[in-house]
Amino acid sequence: MPDREVIYSEYIMVWLKQGIKSIIQNKIFSLAAIGTITACLFLLGVFYSLLTNFQHMVYNAESTVGIIVFFDENATQAQISSIGQQIKARKEVERVDYVSADEAWNRFKSEILEDQQEMVNVFGNDNPLANSSSYEVYLKDVTKQSEMVSFIESLSGVRKVNSAQEAATGFGSFNMLVGYVSVSIILLLILVSVFLIYSAVDMGINVRKDEIAIMKLIGATDLFVRLPFIVEGITMGIIGAAIPLVITGVLYDNVVRFIVSHFSVLSGWLAFVSTEEVFRVLIPLCLGIGVGIGVIGSTMSVRKHLHV
Amino acid sequence: MEKWGKGMTGIKTFGNNETAETIIRMQNVNLVYPTGTAALKDCSLEIGKGEFVFIVGSSGSGKSTLIKTLLGELEISSGRIEVAGKDLANMTRKELPYFRRKLGVVFQEFRLLDEMNVFENVALAQRVVGVSSRERRRKNSLAMLEMVGLSKKLRAYPNELSGGEQQRVAIARAMVNRPAILLADEPTGNLDPENSWEIMKLLQDVHELGTTVLVVSHNEDIVNKMQKRVITLHKGQITSDARQGGYLQ
Repeated sequence: MPDREVIYSEYIMVWLKQGIKSIIQNKIFSLAAIGTITACLFLLGVFYSLLTNFQHMVYNAESTVGIIVFFDENATQAQISSIGQQIKARKEVERVDYVSADEAWNRFKSEILEDQQEMVNVFGNDNPLANSSSYEVYLKDVTKQSEMVSFIESLSGVRKVNSAQEAATGFGSFNMLVGYVSVSIILLLILVSVFLIYSAVDMGINVRKDEIAIMKLIGATDLFVRLPFIVEGITMGIIGAAIPLVITGVLYDNVVRFIVSHFSVLSGWLAFVSTEEVFRVLIPLCLGIGVGIGVIGSTMSVRKHLHV
Repeated sequence: MEKWGKGMTGIKTFGNNETAETIIRMQNVNLVYPTGTAALKDCSLEIGKGEFVFIVGSSGSGKSTLIKTLLGELEISSGRIEVAGKDLANMTRKELPYFRRKLGVVFQEFRLLDEMNVFENVALAQRVVGVSSRERRRKNSLAMLEMVGLSKKLRAYPNELSGGEQQRVAIARAMVNRPAILLADEPTGNLDPENSWEIMKLLQDVHELGTTVLVVSHNEDIVNKMQKRVITLHKGQITSDARQGGYLQ
């Protein structure tokens, strides 16, 4: 192994010790930096959990917003099947359910005429919805609804297409708004964290700038000087990421459990994403951001002291 | 060698028939600070390998600036500097640390790392240049501390040492990588006469090992008694270069 590699691998422990020592020595600034990263990543965790769950719930809600396709009175079964196949072939379609005229009447009776048995009796064995067999089309992305409606309307054998366009647009817009707001807040918090890490490492460097100058004058490379500070930044980033992950993990589990047990009446609508699923993304995301903030902040602050 | 101009042969001949290869060469060097102040004016000199040279002059004469240019710490405005075979004007930022490893440097204010003990301060220089074997670093550092007479104070921290002892540690640190040139910027500036002489004796020992030694000093007594080559600077200009000379009045 070349000398330099031996040196770097040997000194990772030295740099780690030095980094931790420096964090302890500059404890006020280090705590401020770690605290800020913790706060930012905690907020990120909360936003992410809310966003994920909100999207999950919106997705569930979206799947209930369907398009209903009615056929011409004289449409043959072959024509109806062909319409179904053409709709299914579209990539934005999640699923297509066929509702026969009998099923439609039975559903109407149970949902609309539940308390009006006399009205039902008026029809006897007749099916007033005899010409109302239909397809219920559910989309993967509800924002594509108007496009899909135009397509279905253009198919031959289609009499009428019913859709909840406003609901679909509303869901889509709200979903996007929540996404944009969350991303903006998270980006802002990340910038604040980078600045704080920069300040914390900079404080440490100001105390040690003579050390940097000496090391440079006796022949240290920029990387050799920079690495202990980067290790320090990464250590702060990892600590700052680990704390909110633990807090968010415990909190998420308990909040979901509390809501599910106390608001069982909303259980049909409140479908939560599992803790594992949320943290499968949140752990690498927080650790990655923590390490990234540490590397960027410390690299920026060391750079100006390297020109010796 | 022609690039250095007429008469520059690369071999320096001294008055006492001593010959040596040139290790430091400055040719028409000018250094003007961004403020417009000229710190070095048309300086030319040659120092042979293994020489012991004093750079003297009053405050602000450009002595420390000259040392800083040799270290690559300051960029010159015009002229040429070659140190240990390296043309500093053409040196890249990446090459600078490797160039500095050929030099040892001692400062007036010692510049030891307060959080490291004596041994660690010296071993740091070995770590910096990438001596991979822990045992070799230990051996080299101990040998150098033995040479400067501090083998019994390995675990002491700089604030537990006298000024003279701290300067000895600084010399050990500067010498542990066996540099070809030792640059000492006012090494006795913060010391009493007794300690100053101890340090000069040590620098003489270093010189006897074959190292080229350049000492910036304004200590008239030391310069006169040492009877070494003396280069005098005045307002950024070399005003005299005397073999076995003394401090000019």
